[in-house]
Amino acid sequence: MSTAVRDATYIIIAAYNEGRVIRATVSELRAQWPNVVVVDDGSDDETADEALAAGAIVLRHVLNRGQGAALQTGIRFALARDARFIVTFDSDGQHRAEDVPRLIEPLVRGDADVALGSRFLGTTEAMPLRRGVLLRIAVFFTRAVSGARFTDTHNGFRAFSRHAAGLLDIRMDRMAHASEILDQIAARGLRWVEVPVHIRYTDYSRAKGQTSSGALRVLVDYLQGRWLR
Amino acid sequence: MTNFQIGAVLLIAGAIGATFLQRGRGRISTRVATGWVALWGAAGIAIVRPEVTRIVANALGIARGADLVFYLAILGMFVAFFLVHLRLRRFEAELTRIVRELALRAPREPGSDA
Repeated sequence: MSTAVRDATYIIIAAYNEGRVIRATVSELRAQWPNVVVVDDGSDDETADEALAAGAIVLRHVLNRGQGAALQTGIRFALARDARFIVTFDSDGQHRAEDVPRLIEPLVRGDADVALGSRFLGTTEAMPLRRGVLLRIAVFFTRAVSGARFTDTHNGFRAFSRHAAGLLDIRMDRMAHASEILDQIAARGLRWVEVPVHIRYTDYSRAKGQTSSGALRVLVDYLQGRWLR
Repeated sequence: MTNFQIGAVLLIAGAIGATFLQRGRGRISTRVATGWVALWGAAGIAIVRPEVTRIVANALGIARGADLVFYLAILGMFVAFFLVHLRLRRFEAELTRIVRELALRAPREPGSDA
């Protein structure tokens, strides 16, 4: 990947109380990418300081507003900095920095406006069975609602061209933003591709992940958001 | 009038007075104040002249006045919940906007002391 592309790429990480892992995540990215932005979503631990120490630009939400809200803040920041490519990346070490070039390549070639990471086209490491089932159900639901045939609807590893990022308007502050993003991609006629990525499940990320009741709440939030728009 | 009716009328009179007071202080609009006064008034009529509710209920095909009052109360409650819910969602969105603007105004760059 050329220096020009790397300089024009901003990687956005939304983080809430990730003081234990954020330094490692940012360090892994900063080895190859100069513009890593961590949006500290009202953490009450050392998330911001750890991210800054690892070389990230840090934006701080004074109150916790949710991952969707934090990503939208980061995207707005990146657009103001003239980013050409904007990548969203999870804070907890589930994503690999080495997959970023593969993710943005279709955008660099101009073949797509949005590249979505897919664990079901790629590989996973120690994914819990229940998580896999929940995700498959989410895929089925999203296909039914948005009409687009995504294979992995809750993967935080995404890349947007400047054009696509400028059209995005994430209003669902919490976890329902993932479905909202896909809705907007389909509704705005953005050209999208899915790219195989590797997802690592560690004890830390498994402990943090979505419960069944949490998934139900995400569904309710999403449906409310659609109907009360 | 029964003791209950007297007590209820006094309470309603107080509520109407409070409504006028809030309107006088500019905390609620004339339209909102009128709505509340109408509601308190209707409640007062229903309590002091319960036969009125029976007449209205019968006109609507409902046997008992008490049933009509109950149905309207339930309906009113759901409408109120819904409106409060919408308002809460608006507040949440505005709060996020404020939090975002504050964050964007003060980015911390690596290597700076901020």
